[in-house]
Amino acid sequence: MFDEKSQKKPEKKPEKKPDITFFHPDLLEVPADGGKPYLKGYRCTSCGQLDFPKLSPCPNCWGEEFEVVPLSRRGTLYSFSDNYIGQAGMKPPYSFGYIDLPENLRIFAQLEGGPKTFSCDEAVELTVGPVRDNRDGVPLISYKFRKVED
Amino acid sequence: MKFQRNVYIAGVGETRFGRHNVDFDVLGRSAALEALRASNINRPDMVQSAYVGNGTNGLVTGQTVLKNLGMCGKLPIINVESACSAGGMAVHLAVRDVAMGLAEVAIGIGCENHTLHMAQGTAFATAMSDIETVHGAVMTGKYAMRAQRYMYETGATAEDLAMITVKNRRHATNNPFAWFKGEISIEEVVNSRVVASPLTLQQCCGIADGAGAVVVCSEEMVKKLGIEKPIRVAGSVVRSGPYHNRPRDITGDDITEESAAQLYLESGIGPENVDIVELHDAFTIAELLYYECLGLCPKGDGLKFLRDGQATHGGKCVVSPRGGMLSYGHPIGASGAAQIAASVKQMRNQCPGYQVDPVPRVAMTHVTGGGLSGTEHAACTMHMLISNW
Repeated sequence: MFDEKSQKKPEKKPEKKPDITFFHPDLLEVPADGGKPYLKGYRCTSCGQLDFPKLSPCPNCWGEEFEVVPLSRRGTLYSFSDNYIGQAGMKPPYSFGYIDLPENLRIFAQLEGGPKTFSCDEAVELTVGPVRDNRDGVPLISYKFRKVED
Repeated sequence: MKFQRNVYIAGVGETRFGRHNVDFDVLGRSAALEALRASNINRPDMVQSAYVGNGTNGLVTGQTVLKNLGMCGKLPIINVESACSAGGMAVHLAVRDVAMGLAEVAIGIGCENHTLHMAQGTAFATAMSDIETVHGAVMTGKYAMRAQRYMYETGATAEDLAMITVKNRRHATNNPFAWFKGEISIEEVVNSRVVASPLTLQQCCGIADGAGAVVVCSEEMVKKLGIEKPIRVAGSVVRSGPYHNRPRDITGDDITEESAAQLYLESGIGPENVDIVELHDAFTIAELLYYECLGLCPKGDGLKFLRDGQATHGGKCVVSPRGGMLSYGHPIGASGAAQIAASVKQMRNQCPGYQVDPVPRVAMTHVTGGGLSGTEHAACTMHMLISNW
C-alpha cells in the first residue's frame, strides 16, 4: 500500500512577496490624490545641471545635493520603432521611442498605442502602465508615453 | 595613442562565420593558430602578450582559448570585453604593447559563439542594470530609430537602405568566410519580415559565431620572422562614448566622428586616401550614416555616395569588401578582429574571387560597441593600416 500523503503535491510555498512592481520612485511620481503623474528631474544645487534619470553625484561637478523638478508631461517624439522581435521574456510587438522634453532632456520610453500609429515629431504625453513582467511574473509599472489626446 | 615605435601586422587568421557547433574557444584557437603560423611562429613561447576579446561567453575566455596551444604559463593573457568592440579592442591592446616597447610580439584575438548559448527569436539587449533595457530596449530597435529619423529627415526610402545589403552580399559572393552571400534583390530585402520598423530581417546582421586573430610585432621582429608583406599599423584608436541625457542627432554618431578625427590626425592619413573600409554595418542604416561620420563623403551626401557607386568596386572607397557584418553575421566579440584580418588579406592580394583591384594600400576598420543609455555607443575602436613593401 502506498501512503496517500506522499502522493500529494508538496504544500505550496508561502506566497513570496513579489519583486518590485513599481519601477523607481526616484524617477516617477504618481500622486496619491489622483493628480497627474510626472517624471522627476534632478537639478544640481551647486552647478544647476538638470538630469533625468537621477545621477548622483552630478556628472558635471560631482555635487551631491539636488532639487527635484517636476518635468513637463508633454514632449516631442524624436524617433521610434515598432519591435517585432524583442528582448527575451518580452512579448512583441511593442514600440519604444525617444521623447524630447522642453527641459532639453531626452527620455527613452515605451509607447502606448500599438504599432504603425506613430510618426516623428508628433506630440506625446506621459502615462503610466506596465512595461514588462518582473521576475515573479507580475507586471512592472513604469512611465510610458502616448499620443496627446485632443 | 602616440606610438613610440612602428608596429606591424605579421599574420592574421579568421574562421568561417556562421553557425558553429563548436564553442568560442575552439573558434578562437583556430583563428589564433592560423595567425601565428602565417607569422612564421611555430612554437608556443614566442608571443609575449595576448589579449582576447569576447562579449558573452563567460570568464577566463582567453586562457581557455590559448591553453591547448601550450601558451598558458608563458605570457600574460588579458581578457577584453566591450560588447561589439571587444575584438578590435583586443588588437588595439596588442598594438599598444608593441608600440610602447612592452612586447616584441603580441596577439589580439576576438572570438564568440552565440548560437550555442542564445535563445532563438530574441534580440540583443544590453545589461539589465541599464534604464533603457528595463524599458524594453534592444539593439535592433535602437538602430531602427536611427533609420526612422534618417528617413524622416532626408526622404530616404526602404529601397535606398536595402541597396546596402544588396551591395555587401554581392561583395561577399565568393568569400568562403562569409555566411550570407550572393545575389539578393532590393525587393527581397524590403519584403523580408519586419524586425524593428523600418528595418527588415535582411537589413540586420545575423547572430553568428566566429573568430579572428591578428599577430603584431616590432620592425626588428618583422625581419627575424621573415615576414614578406608586413602591414604597418598607422593608427589605433579606442574611445568611450560621450554621455549625456540631452537631445542629440542620431543620424550622426558622435563617438564615430570623434574616433575618425583622432585616427586621421594620428595616422596622418585622410579619408580621401583610404582604399577600403570595414565598418560597423550591423544594420543597413549604420553603413549609410558612417559614410558621412567617417568623412568618406560630405555630411548629407551618404545616399548619393552609395547611389553613385562610390562605396563599391571602382568607386572612391570600397566599403565592406569582405561583405561586412551584413554578410558575415556579427559574433560580437569576434567582429573587430576579423575585420582587421580580412583587410590584411585584401592588402596582401589573398582574396581570390573577392579581391579589390587595384590591390588596396590603405585600409581602415571601425567597430562600435554597446548600447548604453545616454551614449550613442559605449565604445568605438578604429584602425588604419598601410602596406609598406
